[in-house]
Amino acid sequence: MREEEIPYKGIEGIPVIREPGSAAKVNRGSWRLVRPVHNIEKCTKCKICYIYCPDAAIDWTPDGPDINLTSCKGCMICAEECPTGAMTEEKEGA
Amino acid sequence: MQEFKSLKDIPEQDYFTGGSSACAGCGPSLGLKLALKVLGPETIIINSAGCMTLLPLYPNTPLKASWIHNAIENAASTAAGARHGLDVLGNGDMNVVVYAGDGATYDIGFASLSAAAAKNERIIYICYNNQSYGNTGFQWSTATPYGSETKTTPRGKENPTGNTAVNKDMLKIMGAHRVYAATASLAYPVDFLNKLGRAKERDGFSYIELLGACTAGWNYDPRLTIKISKLAVRCGMWPLYEIEHGMLNLNKDFSELKPVDEFLKMQGRYRALPPDGVERLQALINEHWAELKEYNKQRYV
Repeated sequence: MREEEIPYKGIEGIPVIREPGSAAKVNRGSWRLVRPVHNIEKCTKCKICYIYCPDAAIDWTPDGPDINLTSCKGCMICAEECPTGAMTEEKEGA
Repeated sequence: MQEFKSLKDIPEQDYFTGGSSACAGCGPSLGLKLALKVLGPETIIINSAGCMTLLPLYPNTPLKASWIHNAIENAASTAAGARHGLDVLGNGDMNVVVYAGDGATYDIGFASLSAAAAKNERIIYICYNNQSYGNTGFQWSTATPYGSETKTTPRGKENPTGNTAVNKDMLKIMGAHRVYAATASLAYPVDFLNKLGRAKERDGFSYIELLGACTAGWNYDPRLTIKISKLAVRCGMWPLYEIEHGMLNLNKDFSELKPVDEFLKMQGRYRALPPDGVERLQALINEHWAELKEYNKQRYV
């Protein structure tokens, strides 16, 4: 019988990702040319930057946005969409 | 499910992390991040080969939900199979969601999509439409709008228009399957997530089409992803509407559309589109918009 010839070994040996969301540790910071800088005084906590971040690099805290520079690829959607200009940009390596 | 009223109502829990290999400013990646806020971790995402296939790459995944890699032809059949399997195992509460590109939806995977919709399987089909085969280098698909330059419809002396074909009216096709069909935009996340919430509650097939702005293919600065998505809605390139039981409901109604020129000039793919091409595109948009206005709250398909 075929089942005897090729025993089923379960998922051993098959590439399985065991940790959900493990890509959060991957550093994409080197992709950036500019980096977002948050100015807490101008922030109205409208959440726009947090909602529109395509890489979930902005965490929402009671004090406002918290930028995670490991994940941030520097697309600058946050700075473009910020209605009060609280999110500005700074050249990387300057 | 409770409807969201503003951005502040959107849940703060993310089931999507950074560190994926998507481009900076990627529209479809943002769409998936937003969708998972409503769908939650009890979700199986079925993906056709495309840009988003590159999100979970061994040994890392940005997702906190399950994911099935799939051939480009049969995402909808896999989803129907997963749904039946889950129902038999008693996991009827889990969401089965297809996240496929426009090439896999409009062209290659259309047969399986149509069959799943006709059988009214309880799945949510999200098409992230970047109006081309984006992953292989921006070739023409039947979702490519009139006048867009692609790798296979280049502009030249003999054909200055680029793509001379008019894109398929997919919403009408899906609406004619008597399922829930809706368009969504990244610039209107509240509208998108409410539609997704409605689809999640439905006992049947739902089709949501999201305009996924593509920074590399459409050729614009990544920071403009949301601005361009918003302009697409304001110019009538991407009207927001839904069709349920053949009835049309226009979600964002404007008394006057902005001229399409504003949308075109922000993108490299429309650079050097001659004025008669812009006129023809504007005429096509006006025609579609007039049709939507006429049939609003009425039987459409």
